[in-house]
Amino acid sequence: MNRLGALAAAAIFAVTLPFCLKPYGIYLISMWAVLTIAAIGLNLTLGYAGQVSMAQGAFVGIGAYTVALLMQTGCPFALAFLAAGLLCFVLGWILGYPALRVQHHYLAFVTLAFTTLVFLVLRNEEWLTGGTYGINGILRPVLFGWSTRKPLNFYFFSLGVLIILSLATWWLLRSPWGRAFVGLRENPLRAASLGIDTRRYTLMAFAIGSGLGGLSGALYAPLVQYIEPGSFGLSLSFNLLLMVIVGGSGYFFGPYVGALVAVLLPEWTQIAEDYYLIVYAALVMVMMAFCPSGILGLIDRILKLAWRGNRPAPALRTEGASS
Amino acid sequence: MNAILQVSNLRKSFGGITAVNDVSFEVREGEILGIIGPNGSGKSTLFNCVLGQLRPNGGQVRVDGRPTTGMRPCDLNRLGVSRTFQLLQVFSQLSVRDNLILAGQEHQGSMYSRLFGRADAGLGAVADQMVEFFQLSHLASEPAGALSYGQQKLLDAAMAFMAGPRLVLLDEPAGGVNLTMLAHLRERLQAYHAERNATLVVIEHQMEFVMALCTRVLVLAEGRVIAQGSPNDIRRNPIVIEAYLGH
Repeated sequence: MNRLGALAAAAIFAVTLPFCLKPYGIYLISMWAVLTIAAIGLNLTLGYAGQVSMAQGAFVGIGAYTVALLMQTGCPFALAFLAAGLLCFVLGWILGYPALRVQHHYLAFVTLAFTTLVFLVLRNEEWLTGGTYGINGILRPVLFGWSTRKPLNFYFFSLGVLIILSLATWWLLRSPWGRAFVGLRENPLRAASLGIDTRRYTLMAFAIGSGLGGLSGALYAPLVQYIEPGSFGLSLSFNLLLMVIVGGSGYFFGPYVGALVAVLLPEWTQIAEDYYLIVYAALVMVMMAFCPSGILGLIDRILKLAWRGNRPAPALRTEGASS
Repeated sequence: MNAILQVSNLRKSFGGITAVNDVSFEVREGEILGIIGPNGSGKSTLFNCVLGQLRPNGGQVRVDGRPTTGMRPCDLNRLGVSRTFQLLQVFSQLSVRDNLILAGQEHQGSMYSRLFGRADAGLGAVADQMVEFFQLSHLASEPAGALSYGQQKLLDAAMAFMAGPRLVLLDEPAGGVNLTMLAHLRERLQAYHAERNATLVVIEHQMEFVMALCTRVLVLAEGRVIAQGSPNDIRRNPIVIEAYLGH
């Protein structure tokens, strides 16, 4: 019930907030909605299924370029949007194959190499991507006669997509698939011995997570209206990774909180101007040392402490003959 | 009686060490076979070769007469062969109930039908029966990692039974479990065996546990089968006594 209340409050806040903001503020919260989608995808791959990926930024890039290029040819946005998701789903599936052989740090390096590769393709294949000049004047879509050109409209459009994708992810994670993903993260050996096809679930975790990255990119392009390869380099992948971890990896709402921190913190620390990165880095270091489970992990811990303080001891100690 | 599992001339070596050396045996339907042997005699390696965690260097494994050598563990499991590991292997962040559902869900429908089906894959009632059977009901919604070692061992065993397997291989189910819990575990395994006519193979060091539970015992030493027979025969077998006390 508490959880539902918090959710309702967050929803009301997300809907009313833009009316109190200037266009730049609306741009920022739109960016939050868009990047949250990519972070949700990474949280699925990393937080739930336990597969480290440093390639989520590359998928955002692929999604953004797919939409920008397809719309240039006159393709309707809805179709380009789906194509971006599908393309990244397929590429994510392929990127999942190395994960069947290597794990953890090694997997991080493989996915890092993929990010670099995508960046190089975006920069060097000028005939297709426009190279370092990027792509200009990306139009915001008109949906059933409703134009998303105004910042406020585009924000609500992004928020709507975020909500739909959140519901889909929620459905996925509470289905037996979600349980299998956690099994994969916790103990792949045992999972396989229980009939869980770890190979297929690993590939699926990569494919779905990457697909969400692509959909995020598909909104990113019309949001910023100008894309260039530099936006999708290693730093975006690192940033998305930080969002997942700072928010709380493996918590459903972790990415929402993490993306909020990542989008707002640079703005709030503007006062510190050039020191922003130092402040951010220091915060992350303190955070990881004292609360590796992220902000939601911290809140979880505090709530549990409060809960235990108010109630009689939990039913955990009923067992007399423990070993 | 039919042989549910046939192992013939199985061999596995690591570098210069032959951990399993030309091992052949059969497991008959409905029996509880104990596998004993000193440390390093190749018991766990044998299990790992039979169940696909390791690829044997030679020999063959058949389940119901069908060759399964080199099959993936998950495919083998879906044929009705289940196992536990020597070291505790539960999913510590999932609840006890979710551990059990996870242990059975891949046997329900196809991967894609499970995505759109019920969240508990229709296994909620079975999981509740299983927690009750292993007397863990009061812990059903606790994360498995919060349970005591003995309770986790019970859960570990319960998970192996969740999909209603015909053959279950248990690797040291009694390891590190105290005496009260041990009697409870043995009684539960026997009850399950009697109720479902399941076939069990148990690796164990705890002799009393093996002698009380098993209908037949196989002794491994240095990767070879040195004796097999009823618990009483094995207890008196001079070769077995030599293997345990000699050297």
